[in-house]
Amino acid sequence: MERRIFLGFAGPSIVVMCLLMVMPLIMAIWLGMHFMTFDNVLEPQWVGLRNFAAALGDERFWQSFSFTALYIAVVVPSWIVIGFVVALLLDQVTGLARGVYLSIFLLPFVIVPIVGTIMFRQLFEPSGLLRWLYQELLNERFRYTEQTVKSLILFHGIWYVTPFTLVVYFAGLQTLPQDLMEASGIDGATRLQKIRHIVIPHVRSLTLFILLFSIMDSYRVFDSVFVLTGLNPLYKANTIMTYTYQTATQLERLGRANAMAVLTIIGIMVVLIPNLYLSWKEQIAER
Amino acid sequence: MNRQKLFTLVILALVTGLIGMPGAFAQEAGACNVEAPMEAVELNALGWSFPILDFYYSEIEACDQVENIDINVNQLSGEDVQEQVNLALSAGGDSPYDILSGANGQVADWGGKGWLMPLNDLIDKYRDEYDLDDIPAANWDVGAIDGNIYGVPVIANTLHLFYRSDVLEEMGMMPPETYADVVALCDAIGLDNMDWDAPFGMDLSRPRGWELEFFMVLGGLGGSYIGEGSMPAFNGPEGVQAVEIMLDVYNSCLGEAASSMSNNNMETGMHQGTLPIVKLWASRAAGMSDPDSTDLTDVIDFAPAPRAVEGGPRAGSAWLDFFFIPANTTNDPDLIFRIIMEGVDVASQQQAAIYGIPTRSSAANFGGKYLPAASATLAESVGNYSKNPANDIAVAKLSEFLPLTATGEMSPQEALDAAAAAYTEEATAQGYIEG
Repeated sequence: MERRIFLGFAGPSIVVMCLLMVMPLIMAIWLGMHFMTFDNVLEPQWVGLRNFAAALGDERFWQSFSFTALYIAVVVPSWIVIGFVVALLLDQVTGLARGVYLSIFLLPFVIVPIVGTIMFRQLFEPSGLLRWLYQELLNERFRYTEQTVKSLILFHGIWYVTPFTLVVYFAGLQTLPQDLMEASGIDGATRLQKIRHIVIPHVRSLTLFILLFSIMDSYRVFDSVFVLTGLNPLYKANTIMTYTYQTATQLERLGRANAMAVLTIIGIMVVLIPNLYLSWKEQIAER
Repeated sequence: MNRQKLFTLVILALVTGLIGMPGAFAQEAGACNVEAPMEAVELNALGWSFPILDFYYSEIEACDQVENIDINVNQLSGEDVQEQVNLALSAGGDSPYDILSGANGQVADWGGKGWLMPLNDLIDKYRDEYDLDDIPAANWDVGAIDGNIYGVPVIANTLHLFYRSDVLEEMGMMPPETYADVVALCDAIGLDNMDWDAPFGMDLSRPRGWELEFFMVLGGLGGSYIGEGSMPAFNGPEGVQAVEIMLDVYNSCLGEAASSMSNNNMETGMHQGTLPIVKLWASRAAGMSDPDSTDLTDVIDFAPAPRAVEGGPRAGSAWLDFFFIPANTTNDPDLIFRIIMEGVDVASQQQAAIYGIPTRSSAANFGGKYLPAASATLAESVGNYSKNPANDIAVAKLSEFLPLTATGEMSPQEALDAAAAAYTEEATAQGYIEG
């Protein structure tokens, strides 16, 4: 393709990407080099790399980072495993029941995130159903502690996004070559062997896509942490995103929050680049 | 007589009057007597939500019925309102909001930054029409900085005790007079008592709740936030003692239940009978006498806020809530002011008295069962925030570090010193402390 034609097609999206992504990123880097609060927004004070150094030296920034890492480590594999298993089960269901089951599984993903999270929290409020059940079954009070709040955030993350992976895998299973499955059956392959040697390799590229998406999405987790913790430091459950937000809005350190946002982007890239490389290699191999 | 004492006396006089017998309302509330503007006007209001303020906003929304006036009211939590205002007004552009509500702290914070419109001319213009002298001068003074009045005072508020009289009677105990009594009561009930969510409720569920309680206990010990030259004064011996008192209450009365003790949950807990005693805002007391809200109206009683130490002031603040107009509103300030005044005129405030403590003297004969406790607290309260614009920084920094004392991450002295260092750094950078 000639360069002129390529630019003609790609130009508009490159311009839009620059305006919506590159410019804000440059702006964030620039603002990250200033001391800025809500009092001096119009005349921020140049501090160079001090905000970046302060963020990296901030114990709570690393505490947020470690909870974000824990979130990714627990939630992403859960999305993939549970989504895949449920998709396999759903694939066995036929007729109207399949539509009904699929609709039910998709419900958490359809609800507006913040509304879903608030409803989820309500279940554990003093008058909430699950709190009552917990007390009835275990004969002890349900309390918001560091452990329970962190567990609720992880559980909410799994409950909320698994339907997405389920739908992706379910769609992938519809393209599974049935002749291959039948041939393997004739050759005596067990159900588990079929899954291991045919289904999993078939959805490999989907898994890679889900992995990329999931890591990126879980790195940015915000709603559930915001609603379930109220950004209370007692729970030590801040993620990178909520701590950046808190630094900007409650602690009013806008410059430092920008520096933290830039560091977050660098963090995401460090995690994603190996996966992007794998994905690229996969595509080359498929060609 | 200094302003603080004068203000306290006026509030006391006002609420003493409010204890009087309820009477018929002078006129029907809910009407809006503003003429329709020539062109369509859309007004956006932003504020907190609690019963008396909800009532005022419903009165303001009555003006939505007037032709060409469209009013949108957004009510959020205190922290969310602060955040929205910061984002909307700090850059100096047109304000997306036309009416704001907030308390004492916002007068110094928003007014000091030039985000609010001085209302002196409008107050003079409509003084007679809306009988503005009915609101005591001391209340107007709280909403003023250097003679510029930034807010219309509409609600007086404080924190006091709500308790189950039947429970305390059965235990042979009186409502606590000091925090030591609170701890003794909690020990008697037991932190692990399954009959109750907690032996005592106090809002330590959020960082700001810690700061507010600290302000009151510190005041009760004679301390203050900011000293000469805007230097931090909260990390001295009184500050440490104040945090220690709070931690005693936290450990004996709340423990892990503290995080569930939001104002909303405490209110619900009293309604549902899952809490025996709480320290809560007077503005939430009206619902305790409402049979539609609770079956316990006969046994929920009220007492003044406890004292930090025997003989000291009561650990309750003397708060006022205001309506403000942002300096950069794009709509006619005259129209906005009139719409606010329609919401808080004599008839409205008299009706509002069943939900909370209004500011007009003429509303003094209307009110509820909780008013003796509220007035006793106000009479001996620790007052309210300093108007020093750096106070807002102290509030933010104390909110950041005080909760860490509950987890043992920091000792009281370490937390206060960390807050003082962060405060000094920021107050210096913002020019409140000479570098």
